[in-house]
Amino acid sequence: MTGALFAQSLVLGILLGGLYALLAAGLTLYFGVMRVVMIAHSAFLILAAYLAWFFHERSGLDPLLSLVITVPLFFVVGYGMQRFLVSRLRPISLTTMSVLLTFAVALTIEGLLGFVWTGTQRRVQLEYSGTSIEVFGVSIAVVKLIAFALAAVSLGALYVILRKTSFGRALRATTQHPEAARLVGIDTDRVAGLGFGLGLATAAIGGTALSLDYTIYPSLHWHWIGPLMAIIVVGGLGSIPGAAIAAMLLGVAASLLQVPLGTTWAQTVFYLALFVTLMIRPQGFFGGRLAQRF
Amino acid sequence: MASEPEPVPAAAPASSPAAEPLLRLTDVQAGYGRAALVLRGLSVTVAPSSVVCLVGPNGAGKSTVLKVASGMLKPRSGQVVVDGVDVTGRTPQQLLASGLSHVPQGHSVFPEMTVAENVLLGAYSVRDRSLVAERTEFVTSLFPLVGERWGALAGALSGGQQKQVEFARSLMVRPKVVLLDEPSMGLDPKATAIVFEQVQRMRDAGTAVLLVEQNARRALEAADVGCVLDLGRVHITGPAPDLLADPRLAQLYLGGRPKEVP
Repeated sequence: MTGALFAQSLVLGILLGGLYALLAAGLTLYFGVMRVVMIAHSAFLILAAYLAWFFHERSGLDPLLSLVITVPLFFVVGYGMQRFLVSRLRPISLTTMSVLLTFAVALTIEGLLGFVWTGTQRRVQLEYSGTSIEVFGVSIAVVKLIAFALAAVSLGALYVILRKTSFGRALRATTQHPEAARLVGIDTDRVAGLGFGLGLATAAIGGTALSLDYTIYPSLHWHWIGPLMAIIVVGGLGSIPGAAIAAMLLGVAASLLQVPLGTTWAQTVFYLALFVTLMIRPQGFFGGRLAQRF
Repeated sequence: MASEPEPVPAAAPASSPAAEPLLRLTDVQAGYGRAALVLRGLSVTVAPSSVVCLVGPNGAGKSTVLKVASGMLKPRSGQVVVDGVDVTGRTPQQLLASGLSHVPQGHSVFPEMTVAENVLLGAYSVRDRSLVAERTEFVTSLFPLVGERWGALAGALSGGQQKQVEFARSLMVRPKVVLLDEPSMGLDPKATAIVFEQVQRMRDAGTAVLLVEQNARRALEAADVGCVLDLGRVHITGPAPDLLADPRLAQLYLGGRPKEVP
């Protein structure tokens, strides 16, 4: 691999890693707060991408503007989904049953997308779709840069919400010790609902970013959920910084391996990392003690 | 949520004999799911500025009493009265507002938060910032260690130190009664001694304590009133020193449980 190619792959990997990081943060949030394995996370991601595409088709405006609608919408849907679906599961079997429940939700979304917009592949065409900028001989597509910036800003916002707000402290308390959280007066059911909404809002942002640069079709979400699940296990279930670090590392690794191995084989790096993690450090590499309780 | 009026901070007269109890559980029946009842007509009272200790064998229902009192478990029947107000069936949040604070069994700090965050979360339901500052000062003067380790991660502290953080957190609402579930569990003798010394300090600061302990002898030494639980009822109750001297207690704990034979 030449130096230029390496640099190019590295930059692409970092840009992709940013998007993975945002999406994995949402996924690990559901697990941390509610012990829910949210298979439908990436289906909502693709739904948001479709909504961005449709918004652009109809209005001719930039698909990024669809965020104004999809982020609040997904937040509300997430809150409702937690309060009216997930919270109905029995606590004792919540984690396993949540796999089935959210699997069904994913299939429903996929089916609806196919029903409404058919299985045809869709792609947003923008004036800046083909443009790229050159930095030190590395060419970076503007759309990838926008997607990365969106992911980075959202992750930063998520960090501030969790660290600096009263709601964030309540959410972290609920994650770390649900019983003690109730005993200091936190309404843990409400916090769980809002946490779910927050997770789904990250899917809305990720989907919009995705729509700028990817050809989308209803079953695309299956390509995303596997790597994302692997990332949150490697990072340590429930740990948002862990998810972000693992996402960045694995995103870069996958991007670098694409050159010698090709796209398909490069994807296996996520699963290899998953196997290695489960074998030598099942609680994850960057996570807290949360995962050790399982 | 409005800030509730501050209870009298200094020690109220410790022995006004006819004082209305701060907490009264009357004829409580409670259990989990469809399983058999754990509490079968239990009654207990906690007077102002006193330490009441529940002792008894495993499965006697000691922790369940606290869960009913703090609203974590709804009783099937019976009554919970706090300071003259019937609070039966209220949620933990509502009971916190009426002056009950519960420190659960085992480690209950938020391990990946700092001591400061833990203590301030104790005042989650208190909106008045100056009140929070005032109480922070109060709990750090009561538990100096909490102030010393203010910025440390709570999960990195020793078991005994974590207990102090939990105590400090529970006092941030200035409760009338604190419910302590086996505070000495898993602690070495030195840490246990500190914990019991602090239970007395809470009492001296005007907070009544309802304490559950496995370590009966040690707990009764720290308590004013003792209640011996067995099979979901209070069997014996009386001044703690009397219980310590009571041969029946020794029989129950040291000589097996002959009463159980039908």
